[in-house]
Amino acid sequence: MMEKLLKILEDINPDNDYETEEHLIDDGLLDSFAILELVSSLEDAFGVEITPTELVPQNFNSAKAMWAMLGRLQK
Amino acid sequence: MQYVSLLYLLAFLPLVLLAYGLSPQRHRWKLLLAASYIFYGLLSKTLIIYLLFSTISIHELGLWLNACQDGEKERKRRILWYGVFVHIGLLAVLKYSAFFLESLNAVLPLALPVPSFVLPAGISFFTLQAVSYLSDVYHGRIRGDESLGRLALYLAFFPAIVEGPICRYAETAEELYAGRPLTYKNITFGAQRMVWGLFKKLVVADRLNIFVQKIFTHWGQYSGLVVLLGAAAYTLQLYADFSGCIDLTIGTAELFGVRLPENFRQPFFSRTASEFWRRWHITLGTWFKDYIFYPLSLTRPVKALGRKARKTLGRRLGQTVQVLPPLLAVWVCNGLWHGAGWNYLFFGLYYFVLIVFGNLLEPAADRASHLLGLSREGGIWRVFQTVKMAAIVVTGELFFRAEGLAAGFAMFGSIFSGWNRAVLTDGTLLRLGLDACDFGVIAAGTLVMLAVDLLHERGVCLREKLAQTNLPLRWTICLAAVLAVVIFGAYGAGYAPVDPLYAGF
Repeated sequence: MMEKLLKILEDINPDNDYETEEHLIDDGLLDSFAILELVSSLEDAFGVEITPTELVPQNFNSAKAMWAMLGRLQK
Repeated sequence: MQYVSLLYLLAFLPLVLLAYGLSPQRHRWKLLLAASYIFYGLLSKTLIIYLLFSTISIHELGLWLNACQDGEKERKRRILWYGVFVHIGLLAVLKYSAFFLESLNAVLPLALPVPSFVLPAGISFFTLQAVSYLSDVYHGRIRGDESLGRLALYLAFFPAIVEGPICRYAETAEELYAGRPLTYKNITFGAQRMVWGLFKKLVVADRLNIFVQKIFTHWGQYSGLVVLLGAAAYTLQLYADFSGCIDLTIGTAELFGVRLPENFRQPFFSRTASEFWRRWHITLGTWFKDYIFYPLSLTRPVKALGRKARKTLGRRLGQTVQVLPPLLAVWVCNGLWHGAGWNYLFFGLYYFVLIVFGNLLEPAADRASHLLGLSREGGIWRVFQTVKMAAIVVTGELFFRAEGLAAGFAMFGSIFSGWNRAVLTDGTLLRLGLDACDFGVIAAGTLVMLAVDLLHERGVCLREKLAQTNLPLRWTICLAAVLAVVIFGAYGAGYAPVDPLYAGF
């Protein structure tokens, strides 16, 4: 399932190394337009609802953090 | 009492610092709070009532939100909207009612009475801080503060209350409350930052003031290159003034061991309009992003619009369609936040259009660079982007500073008529309030600012570097910086200091 997340990220911006990058937001590698596209794709792919409360850098700085957020939202 | 005044710099601040240093740790925050209310009281007199009202009501609403149980979503929502309505409503009445009624009278055959309110200094800043606090409590990011004093200090901290930066409770309140001891490093680093801020404000911004005022006040008398130089000078003045005041603010806070968020990150090295706004007035941009853009973007209708648009129009265009409504709201708010006037609204919409088209044209820019055989990271492309951004920013600031939207359009149009390069050499520029010596000082000051920004852009921390030099050299450099401010600063007879440009917002 993590592969599904990585595929979504690659589709949005293939220039980043999502397996190692830990500062996608802090370093400006994903901007707010990309974040919104990501949110829509994650909601469709994983059947969750992402609210504004979740839109904090800690949840989107790395693929691992996003995966943890998705796990929490799916419970 | 202004930040750039002898009373503040040589009396108020040293006295507060001394009292802070002598106070026991647990009482230091109270001292900062008392100093903040004395400062704001001297500045705003009876208008301090607005700050008091804002503080007490936000504190109470935070406690109401704390008291809500997990299932009481509707009650929490009502409390949030009540708080937002009251605080933003108060700001709207004080700041925009005259503009709204005047516009209504102009458009319709009406003669509605137009009220005239005195705007409390910094209301736009502390209102945004209050709303962010309430929203963060609502979303569960923080707990409503039980301590009225701590919340009052967060909203009123004297170095930041007039011009920001716009702080977040989670990042700043505890910093202020901690009552850290005075240290040699904090005092020297803070003082250096303050001197740097004074340099930008007094040497560059205030010296440019006569020149800028003359061109923008008597704009009908000028055209061509003179207007263009006036707009460029205003852009430089605004940057030097606002970032200088922010350096003064952050440096003052640093004296007390308090870290405030940065508000500028070398904005003139930006490649796009959206990047410019991630580097210029950062705390305002992130406020709009977190409290308007994201919440609106994630509403069900906007998300549904995005899904539909992506299916029918493709990924990039569909994504742009989804962000149009929230982005428009952000830029209308951004424009109007800066002032109640059509030119400010135009300023906001100008950036809205630029950012939307910038996003849409991104693939075309990629193709253009391939066709031309130019790397988008290469020097030539970088120069092109820098020139493009300079033109965009200077044009935006021309409308921002112009005395009304009609004056803005007239000035912009006049740049393309009466173009005469001879004004650079025939003495025209020397008849606009500044002599050759003034221009020399401004040019030198600007080069120093550029060099510092360039080093920061390359990741060099100048203050750390300075701290590593030997003591005599370090003190020589610091003393030279102070002397540069004293000798080359524009103050006293013959100079009108710039009003703190952002205080009125």
